[in-house]
Amino acid sequence: MDIFLNELAAFAPAALFNIYFAAASIPVGFVLAVLFALGKGSPNPWISRLSRAYIYAFRGSPLFIQFFMFYSLALSLNISLWKPWGVSGWVLHPLFIGPVVLILNTAAYSAEIFYGALRAVPRGETEAARAYGMSRWQQFRSVTWPNMIRLAWPAYTNEVVFLFHATAIVYFALPVIDNQMDLLVTAKSRFEKDYNTFLHFSVAALYFLAVSLVVFFLFGLVYKRLMRHMPVQPRMRFAPKWIR
Amino acid sequence: MFDFLPQWMRDGLGDDVLFWLGYLTNGKHLTWYASLQFTVFAAVFGSLLAVTFGLLGATLKNSTFPPARLIGTIYASIVRGVPDVLFFIFFPLAFEQSVEWVMASQVCTPETLAAQSAAWPPCKEANWLLSTPEYLVMASVSLGIIYGAFATNVIHGALRAVPKGQLEAARAYGMSASQVLWRIHIRQMWVYALPGLSNVWMLIIKATSLLSLLQIADIVLWADRLGAPNFLKSVGLVHDDWRWRYYLVLFVFYILVTLVSEKGFNVLMRWAGRGILDESRR
Repeated sequence: MDIFLNELAAFAPAALFNIYFAAASIPVGFVLAVLFALGKGSPNPWISRLSRAYIYAFRGSPLFIQFFMFYSLALSLNISLWKPWGVSGWVLHPLFIGPVVLILNTAAYSAEIFYGALRAVPRGETEAARAYGMSRWQQFRSVTWPNMIRLAWPAYTNEVVFLFHATAIVYFALPVIDNQMDLLVTAKSRFEKDYNTFLHFSVAALYFLAVSLVVFFLFGLVYKRLMRHMPVQPRMRFAPKWIR
Repeated sequence: MFDFLPQWMRDGLGDDVLFWLGYLTNGKHLTWYASLQFTVFAAVFGSLLAVTFGLLGATLKNSTFPPARLIGTIYASIVRGVPDVLFFIFFPLAFEQSVEWVMASQVCTPETLAAQSAAWPPCKEANWLLSTPEYLVMASVSLGIIYGAFATNVIHGALRAVPKGQLEAARAYGMSASQVLWRIHIRQMWVYALPGLSNVWMLIIKATSLLSLLQIADIVLWADRLGAPNFLKSVGLVHDDWRWRYYLVLFVFYILVTLVSEKGFNVLMRWAGRGILDESRR
């Protein structure tokens, strides 16, 4: 039991790295995703095509490759760009480039979710808004946006949970600097010391499971608030569906 | 390099094209192309196992025996609750250690146990050295277990989507329960499961990029090796850091594979769904 508690304590700082990666990429990723979703649904063929291609490319290729690609790209630009600008210290740092790639990735996955929700916004409501003489911005603000976010929220919660899971591969693609180790790297390095596979990996898994549950709980609260006008409150269940 | 080609052909192609032809067909590049076999093997074998585990899990989940139902449900939810990479790394290590533990109980003597100073394996004789083929099989099995959990849900849903009348008709014909299951239920289930299974296949394709984590020299590892700054004594610096170009190639490659599988699954779904009324496709 003591061993287990010590293990839990040892993994706590590592969990912060995973939480940092997820927390740093979710807000920006959310905004980008909404933009890409609107872009994909845009009547302008070029905007629509570009957003479509972006979403397809990032959903159709492994995150692992995306990490390697962007990191090596950043490395090769080091001498010509980052060094002269004096930013090479942090541009190449995993704590910066990790969230950047995660943002690009989650933007594509979430954009697909938001696009699906955008298409499911009831026609009659937008028509009613138009009949009231609302401007396009007013239509978006008071009809499209609230409907879209409510429809997309359960799937978006799911995406956030899997984004958190995806943070596990950040340090497999990027270098570990100054003992900044996330859960999985910690588990691996502790495993290499005493070869206790079951203990270290289960504790790491436990952290992932616990944080996923917390995410579900928090996003469930938001969903409750979003749905407060409904006579029967819909509930969210912890049932991760893999759509990534 | 291409001295065997006739002069007119070499003139026609020009030095640039000849250089690139030579560069892209040198031994290291050929090894890179050949390493695609690991990815293909893991994808195909892994997805076959995933479907098998999915069928198994769905049968457990559907069973009338409560403990079996519990096992099926736990399998489907626990594996999805942790990251796939974690399981991907954990399973081969755990399996290797379990085998070594069993071996240790057979081959170790008190003397060899005492002689061993490292924490693992218990004694030197019980060490199981793994090489690429073993790792590849274990990688496929872990892919199968992870994505089998997702396939479990897909197949479980598909089994419920089969019209009840079909099963009742089969029962009315006097088929036994297992005959109904294997001849009618599971056969008709595929149409409803295909969209979900195509999704699982895409996930497995993307997960095959992780093979290099298990010391398999797959396309990702070779891209890294080939792209690293290349210096030859006879030629000088062939190229500096080209890794991002190689990864760009892989990026495009995976997108193309996704595109092709999507088209393939569309054809398959149209073929499997012929003669079946589907509300969503009208």
